Amino acid sequence: MAKSLLIISRQAPWNGPSAREALDIALAGGAFDLPLGMLFLDDGVFQLAADQQPTAVQQKNLAANLQALPMFGVEELFACSHSLTRRGLAADNLTLPVQVLDDAALTALISRFDQVVTL
Amino acid sequence: MKFAIAVFSPAHAPSSRRALRYAEAVLACGHEIARLFFYQDGVHSASANVVTPQDELDVSGQWHAFIAANQLDAVVCIAAALRRGVLDEAEANRYQRQAVNLPKPWELSGLGQLHEAAQLADRLVCFGGD
Amino acid sequence: MTTLHVIAHSPFGDERLVSCLRLLGTDDALLLCGDAVYALRSGSEPHRQLQAAGLAQRLFALEEDVQARAVGNELAKAVDYAGFVELSLHYDKVNSWL
Repeated sequence: MAKSLLIISRQAPWNGPSAREALDIALAGGAFDLPLGMLFLDDGVFQLAADQQPTAVQQKNLAANLQALPMFGVEELFACSHSLTRRGLAADNLTLPVQVLDDAALTALISRFDQVVTL
Repeated sequence: MKFAIAVFSPAHAPSSRRALRYAEAVLACGHEIARLFFYQDGVHSASANVVTPQDELDVSGQWHAFIAANQLDAVVCIAAALRRGVLDEAEANRYQRQAVNLPKPWELSGLGQLHEAAQLADRLVCFGGD
Repeated sequence: MTTLHVIAHSPFGDERLVSCLRLLGTDDALLLCGDAVYALRSGSEPHRQLQAAGLAQRLFALEEDVQARAVGNELAKAVDYAGFVELSLHYDKVNSWL
């Protein structure tokens, strides 16, 4: 059976290519039908903020790629409740249908996956 | 046991050297390296154009020697490498760039190679940071 | 499944260590290397956080990085690279906070 991989993305979206390159790992794995999850943690939750206008800094819209995750078979999407609250982001106004998890649930989530990488 | 090792930092970063020392220890302990994968700024660790002052540790050169001596599969993510100007001859020709800085045995390929290595290996270990 | 978390960034002005300690399971371990070993400096805020986390035998540090930085270390078990490899296998997976 294929090993599952959890990608923890903790970079803000317009801070260089890091956020996009973390997402690319997920999209590439999804294309191979691998069991993948993606967790947005720390500044990574800023990727999920609604109404961003990256064209103002001449960047491509990351939201379109994020929304492709379920189409690529990456349906296990999570965000850290603590990170959202600390940054004033409301769980009901995010650009992706993520499960919002508290710390105990995040510990269990990390435990469940065969492999984890935090970018 | 089999290890997949992914490097996310350039040769001048402490974590690139740490990844190399770890990879050496993996082999010294009798284990196997399924693949080395270089991603994000890690693609700079593969650049053949790094010139290190003579009295400093040449991590880039040591990576080249380590990979050659152990005949390891060393893959550099093509998308990350193009973005950062690490090109082999084929890509330099394709994009009409003058400099080629990725010699053999390094190989440019896609992120699928990282996933394949992670599937083949018992452990995926990534290196980045200070 | 158990996890060996690896941090290589200084804990000062960086969120990795604090986030990691929040998510660390009771059977998980933490290995500090590079600038992350500054967390072992006694009297510092991260040192207090590590103590409060009560990691006991589950806190490790890469010996060369402790030596290089003159960080007195009474909290973490020092390991060399062979020890790092062994830890990687002892725990079910390795999560590096890149």
